[in-house]
This record gives sequence, structure tokens and C-alpha cells, in this order.
Amino acid sequence: MFIVYHLIIFYLVSHFIWYLFRENEFWKRVSVALVLIMFLLRLFLIK
Amino acid sequence: MKGLKDRLISGLLLLLSLALCFFSTQKFREQHKKETLFPSGGLASREMLSSYFPGLIDTPGDTEVYIYGGQNPGGNILILGGAHPNEPAGYVTAVLLIENIQVSQGKIIVIPRANNSGFTHSEPQEGNLRGYSLETPGGKRFFRFGSRLTNPIHQWPDPTLYINPSGQKLSGQESRNLNRCYPGKPKGYLTEKIAFAIMEIIKKEKIDLAIDLHEAAPEYPVVNAIVFHENSAELASYSLMELQQIGFEFRLELSPNNLRGLSHREWGDHAQVMAILLETANPSQGRLKGKSSLSLIIEGKDRNYSKAAKFGLLFVPFDGEGIPIKLRVARHLAAIKILLSSFNELNPEKRIEVNHMPSSSQVKLKGIGQFLCPPYRK
Repeated sequence: MFIVYHLIIFYLVSHFIWYLFRENEFWKRVSVALVLIMFLLRLFLIK
Repeated sequence: MKGLKDRLISGLLLLLSLALCFFSTQKFREQHKKETLFPSGGLASREMLSSYFPGLIDTPGDTEVYIYGGQNPGGNILILGGAHPNEPAGYVTAVLLIENIQVSQGKIIVIPRANNSGFTHSEPQEGNLRGYSLETPGGKRFFRFGSRLTNPIHQWPDPTLYINPSGQKLSGQESRNLNRCYPGKPKGYLTEKIAFAIMEIIKKEKIDLAIDLHEAAPEYPVVNAIVFHENSAELASYSLMELQQIGFEFRLELSPNNLRGLSHREWGDHAQVMAILLETANPSQGRLKGKSSLSLIIEGKDRNYSKAAKFGLLFVPFDGEGIPIKLRVARHLAAIKILLSSFNELNPEKRIEVNHMPSSSQVKLKGIGQFLCPPYRK
């Protein structure tokens, strides 16, 4: 279960990073970066 | 094809996210660090709660148990602080005892962080401080201000309806409230395991008198109170008279028979121990409080509570002077001292002799910090 959770978060994080480099609008990229923080915290299991 | 400039901006944003993660994590993880306590020379041994119940080994519920005395036979006393880590006077009183007392007859066992997990987080949406500092002669000592409940990362999810080990139906989150989980379960939730371990201490150490240190909001009816199990009725009423003689007003509350899971009820019912719970008035945990601040925790001042007192909504006097933590700790110390002396009078064959306990009048006069060790190891 722990690994499945980790894989899901890793999958989402990789998509956010891919989107961050693909998106043209600056403010959309900033939004992605902010959302990314929460997912990175989950990825590193900081709790 | 995106330009180099765009990629550079994206890269910088990614680095910024990682940097924010790193710095916020440093602060956040400090919540899990325990502040160091400096036991007095009278400490006989320091155990872990898991040594009484191995089911707590390597769990966030495991916590230190400080044992004083035991060389000369006498009464055995358990004092519990930090069952609710958002009630600082209970915790600080236990710390004061640990850092000062010497026991020449009988045994005193102090658990300062009864719900260790509750110290690792704060109440959501309360805006509470991470902790507070008390000034000692050698510098400031920092203490955590935690949550009433076990940390949800250690016990999750909450049931919709919680039926505690005594069969009482409660709201789901009460499954993380140590003082609703007695007598505990060896294979239950983490909080139930902690409660079970405390029951094991009471039984294995043959505790005669158990005191649970708490605080309550000034608008809560059971405040400035001695809550007692019926088998400690004589002790409680005797102590009340003595406390009134030295200027501390307390009310006596008999532990209700139909409210199950609380220390003062289950300790008495399941271990036949004299069970007492002490309450002082803590404005930093009330529903009527204003902005959470250091002053609210230390000085106990709050304009909302002053107004509420004028409208007669509180169960304790509250004026512009507030109810400072040193007064609340002094009340706990006075009550413990009187309970012990009353216990000695009622049980002369099980005497307990404690030396160097900070006096309530000195704590009121000089402050708590004067009786704490400086923030470095002796």
C-alpha cells in the first residue's frame, strides 16, 4: 500500500514537472510550482 | 520549440519549490523533537512506558517514565502530566516535579508527556503557537504546546462513531483523546494502547494514589476543580478543606458513573486506585479566546475572556490580570502537596515523604523559571 501511494504521487509529480516545462503562460507555471510543493512534501513523506 | 529563457524560468520555479519544501520542512520537523528535561538528583530510574507494555515499543506513543524513591517502603504515587498537550500547566507542573523532588519514603512516578504523540502537532485552525519559553536563571527553556488529541499521522482514520473500551459512545475524533480511552486495549488504537500501558503501570507498581494533571477552558463548568473517584472521596474532601485554608478555592466534583473512559473513573474502577484529576483554568484552550499569542499562554490575559467574565459567562473570576501559567502551576503544586499530606494522614502505614518540592507561594512570587534547570545539561 505504501509503495502504491508513493508511485501515485511520483506519477503526479512527474506530470506536474513535465507541465511546468511545457506551459507557455508564466502565471500558470507559478501555479504549478505552488501545487508541486505539496506533492513534493508528500513524495518525501514529510509529516 | 520553447526558448531557453522559458526553460530557465521553469527550472528556477522548480528550484524555488524544492527550496520552499526544504525550509518549511525544517520548521515543521522541529515539532517532533522532544525538549530535554533535567531530572533532579533524586531520580531512582528512568524507564519507558513500553517497558510496562511492549506493544508501545518503537511507536510515537512511547514516553519517558521518571521514578523517584522506592528505597524505603511507603505509598506509591503516580502523577500524570501532558495527557492533553494543549494544557501547559499540567505538563510544566510534571516537569517542575521531575527537576526538583527527592523522595525519602515511598515512591513517586511521574509521566510528563503522557500522550507523547499529541506533542508532535497542533490543533488545526486554531493558529496556536508551536510552543512557549520560560525564563530560567540560566536562559530560556522552550516547551512544546501541542494538541489535545493524538497526531492523526500516528492514528488515522478516525471512526465515525467511537465506542471506547468502557462501551461509551463518543464522536470519532475522541478515539485520539487519551482521557477518553481508559482502561485501554492492548490491541486497540495507539491511544488505547497508551491508556492500557498506563493501567499496567498502576497495577504493576501497586499505585495507591494516581493524580492526572489537566486544564480546562474558563467557560467549562469543571474548572479549578478536584475530580475524584468515590474511593478517594475522603482524601479529596479532606484536601479541599486544607487547600481553602491556604487560600486556594477548588470545587469538588464526583466522577460521574455514566461518563466512561476518563482517568478518574476507570483508574478507580479497574485498578481500585485512589484516582484524582486536577483542573485549572486555561484561557489559551477556550472557545472564547481572542488571538493565540505567547502572552495568552504565559500571562493568561485575554480581552474576550475579561468581557465574558463581566457577562457572567465564566466559571472562574477573570479580570485584566488574566490567569497566568505560574498561578495555574502553583495551584497544581499546592493541590499535589496537600493531597500527599492528606494521604499520609489517612494512610499512616503507607507514608510518602517528598523533599524539595517547589512551594506554590514561591512559584506564584518568583515564577516557574526559578525552579527549572537552565537550558543546558548539568
